Amino acid sequence: MKKSTNSLPDQPPRWADQLLEWFVAPHLLEYIQGDLHENFHKRVVKVGIARARREYLWAVFHCLTPFFTKRQTIKSSYSNQPSTVMLSNYLTIAFRNLWRQKAFTAINIVGLSVGLASCLLIVLYVLHELSYDSYHAHADRIYRMTMHARMDEKDINLAYSTGPSGQALLRESSGVEAVTRLRKEGAFLVKHRQDIIKEEKVAFVDSNFFSVFSLPMMKGSPKNALAEPNTLVLTQTTAQKYFGKADPIGQSLTLGNLGLFRVTGVCEDVPSNTHFHYDMFGSFESVKTGDKWLASGAYTYVRLREGHSLTQVETISRGFVSKYIAPEIKEFFGMDFTEFQKKGNRFGFQFQPITDIHLHSDLDDELEANSDAKYVYIFSVIAFFILLLACINFTNLSTAGSASRSKEVGIRKVLGSVRTQLVTQFLTESVLLTFFALVLALVLVFLLLPSFNVLSGKQFTVNDLVNGRLLMGAVVCSLVIGLLAGSYPAFVLASFKPITVLKGKLQIGGRGGWLRNALVTTQFVVSIGMIVATIVANRQIQFMQNKKVGFDREQVLVLHDTHVLEAKADAFKAELAKLSSVVKVASAGFLPAGHTSQSVDGVQIQDGARTATHRTKGYYIDEDYLPTLGIGLAQGRNFSKAFSTENASVLLNEAAVRTYGFKNPIGQQISTVGDGSAGSKRTYTVVGVVKDFHFESMHQHIAPLVIFYGKDNNQLALRIQTNDIPTLLQKIEQQWKATTDNPFAYSFLNERFSKMYQSEQHISQLFAVFAGLAVLIACLGLFGLAAFTTHQRTKEIGVRKVLGASVTGIVTLLLTDYLKLILIATLIASPIAGYTMSQWLRDFAYRIDLPWWAFALAGVLATVVAVLTVSYLAIKAALVNPVKSLKAE
Amino acid sequence: MTDHFMRKTILGELEELVLLVVAACNEDVYGIPVMEELQQQTGRDFTISAVHTTLYRLEEKGFLSSSVGGATAERGGRRKRLFALTAAGGEVLLEIQQTRTRLWQSIPQAKLELMGLSANPF
Repeated sequence: MKKSTNSLPDQPPRWADQLLEWFVAPHLLEYIQGDLHENFHKRVVKVGIARARREYLWAVFHCLTPFFTKRQTIKSSYSNQPSTVMLSNYLTIAFRNLWRQKAFTAINIVGLSVGLASCLLIVLYVLHELSYDSYHAHADRIYRMTMHARMDEKDINLAYSTGPSGQALLRESSGVEAVTRLRKEGAFLVKHRQDIIKEEKVAFVDSNFFSVFSLPMMKGSPKNALAEPNTLVLTQTTAQKYFGKADPIGQSLTLGNLGLFRVTGVCEDVPSNTHFHYDMFGSFESVKTGDKWLASGAYTYVRLREGHSLTQVETISRGFVSKYIAPEIKEFFGMDFTEFQKKGNRFGFQFQPITDIHLHSDLDDELEANSDAKYVYIFSVIAFFILLLACINFTNLSTAGSASRSKEVGIRKVLGSVRTQLVTQFLTESVLLTFFALVLALVLVFLLLPSFNVLSGKQFTVNDLVNGRLLMGAVVCSLVIGLLAGSYPAFVLASFKPITVLKGKLQIGGRGGWLRNALVTTQFVVSIGMIVATIVANRQIQFMQNKKVGFDREQVLVLHDTHVLEAKADAFKAELAKLSSVVKVASAGFLPAGHTSQSVDGVQIQDGARTATHRTKGYYIDEDYLPTLGIGLAQGRNFSKAFSTENASVLLNEAAVRTYGFKNPIGQQISTVGDGSAGSKRTYTVVGVVKDFHFESMHQHIAPLVIFYGKDNNQLALRIQTNDIPTLLQKIEQQWKATTDNPFAYSFLNERFSKMYQSEQHISQLFAVFAGLAVLIACLGLFGLAAFTTHQRTKEIGVRKVLGASVTGIVTLLLTDYLKLILIATLIASPIAGYTMSQWLRDFAYRIDLPWWAFALAGVLATVVAVLTVSYLAIKAALVNPVKSLKAE
Repeated sequence: MTDHFMRKTILGELEELVLLVVAACNEDVYGIPVMEELQQQTGRDFTISAVHTTLYRLEEKGFLSSSVGGATAERGGRRKRLFALTAAGGEVLLEIQQTRTRLWQSIPQAKLELMGLSANPF
């Protein structure tokens, strides 16, 4: 029935009319619609109802032009005033309003400034990560040549290339402008007069290194400083460390076993955004680099000529394999190149842009552990979310607070304010607020910078913060935030109808209330998600720290660089073993955590007629190693001095036994492939099987391991038993000083173990911090919102109390609204966080199951925090004497 | 001269026609009568929206003035916007008329006869 009343037979189509009313500007509507109707009735008489309606529709569509849709703009009678007058008025009013609503202003500013501060810090971090190596002149033309091979069904991806490859490229490719090489030879004990200092960061570079990389020389010639063998360029800081204020040029230093080096130059310290950080650059000629392609290596950097493409250089480098490497294959592997290839083996070179190394390169033997683009993404997303939360807060609070300003808007409109003026007024307020927040944020960043540096492992200074672009960006960003976050409340307020608001009817609620709830829910979704992420990351780290690793990492002291003792090592070990708190001492160049020697060999297994080769990692240990580290035996025996044949004995771990397919491993024979030559091929008998222990990080499954008998004196491991570690260390140091001049360094196995998961710990700490911030901001928002709604319901609460409601009843009533939102937020956040974190956990071979209670805990935490935030207001409102609340207004 | 030139360029054909119709009408001048008169005089179809747009545009240019008129039942109680010619509107019509007359008169009689247009419309 309703339909027929809506469209009487001689009426034009209702929906066409509605369409017309919707798009035609109000000041034109009445006349055009009147004319259309009049014409319609005339046409009905002339051509009949059906055609008239069709024509009406057609005519309506014809009105769909900018002329009819454009809304009338009212010009204010004040708009001729110079803009500065109005601006100062806007500012004055804005200040007054902000001052009058101190609590709101404070909540708003604090929330936004916390958001801005964390965002600034993250931007600082992300920009630094992205800036790596881009400061070199022609950085876009510099590439690093890397080597990739597949041997014995295992991929090898090396960050360096073979020694002669760079020079060959320079010779044969016209597109290459310069090639420079770098070699690292590990740490050196550097002797200057009587002092010996261990220097970890020593590199040996070609003489043109300083012309390819923009590392300015302060003293000495950038071109010739490193032309001769045994010359050395120091960084500014290192030069100062050794020579103080004296001129370092011409002075000399002894570098370990490489002999005397003459200092020929001083360069500026390597900038932090470089993929290498060396303190000393020796000349490349000082170290031996073989001229064999397969037995030499150097980090090789190539600068292309301008306008030259990489493709040509890549093509030429592909030719190197058959030209130079194939002849050497025969020499090293004893087989033809074709035969070598038939086994699935291959060689190749690749080129990575130098600016990509820090974030995108994860090859073997990188100069430094690189970062990962993943973290840049994660932190960018976090920064975005935090800022989003803060903006939502801002919008939410301003909209909610606008209720108290509806009367003001009414009066202003009655007195002749036009929409634009009101919008400008409110936007001025919000922009002003953002700028206050920005100032506070900058102060916060300034205060937090040291802790942030610790957390992120960077060295930012205030200079990085205030240098031009970032600050400008922050100001522009605040302006945009102020305008964006302020625009919704501004337009809502400005659209109030004066008559309704002056009558005392609030126009907020309905759609606005829905929006505010959605915004608060979003905030809690983000907060809860981050809480879940924090819990999961923490659990995983705890799991890795506490998992039985197969060795006893407590009370193990490791002495570093004990190879310097040379022949005195055995005597020193014997002395240490005499100490009452030292239980056992072992040579421990190979260790499952921290710095360790590396060894990989092909292992051939003869099991009946079956022969198989496996690339297996190896350990070289002495007879004291297993008891010192507390590694258990599963079968057979440990190495022992009592047997003279130990050099032909070997231990396997359980993973190796499984991989090799031994049913009865003791007594089995295995042989190593070596480098292919007959001399390096040796046969061993398995005498024991050790229980699996984690000799690599938990990202990987425990791999097969072959343990040979040998002494690697690079480090010594001491099983100790004492509560007084300082005294013990003192005693050991005395012993050390009596034996050698070299510096004494030590570490504890459990600390080294924890450090393996440092980057995960960093991530988890950062997550915890940002989750905390997210919760804080969300709570501020909730507090503001609750303050507003409770205020709005003052009368309702009064009436309820008069009718006999209890305080608990009222508090519950006020809380339920928010608890509903948090429940919804938990439901939305759980699957998202669950999925993301299960992806993160996939990186670990040994990982926890996603704990279901993490979601519940996050929800409960959010609820508790929310209840604490809101209940103060709710209880306050519930305790008010109804007489007072009913008298209000 | 420039003044004349400018005024003529801002008056389009439809605008000129509408202005003439408004000038010619005796009764209430609003959208419908103008549209009907245009259709009758030219034999072409005009939409109400086009007529309205032109009327408002002429008002903006100052050639027409408008006021609000009475409502009728068939308009659903909606009022009419009534238009009237202003002095400027009259002037511009007169100028157009004069310009055309001058141009017609400058055509040589022989040429007119050649085209079969012997009669001078003015």
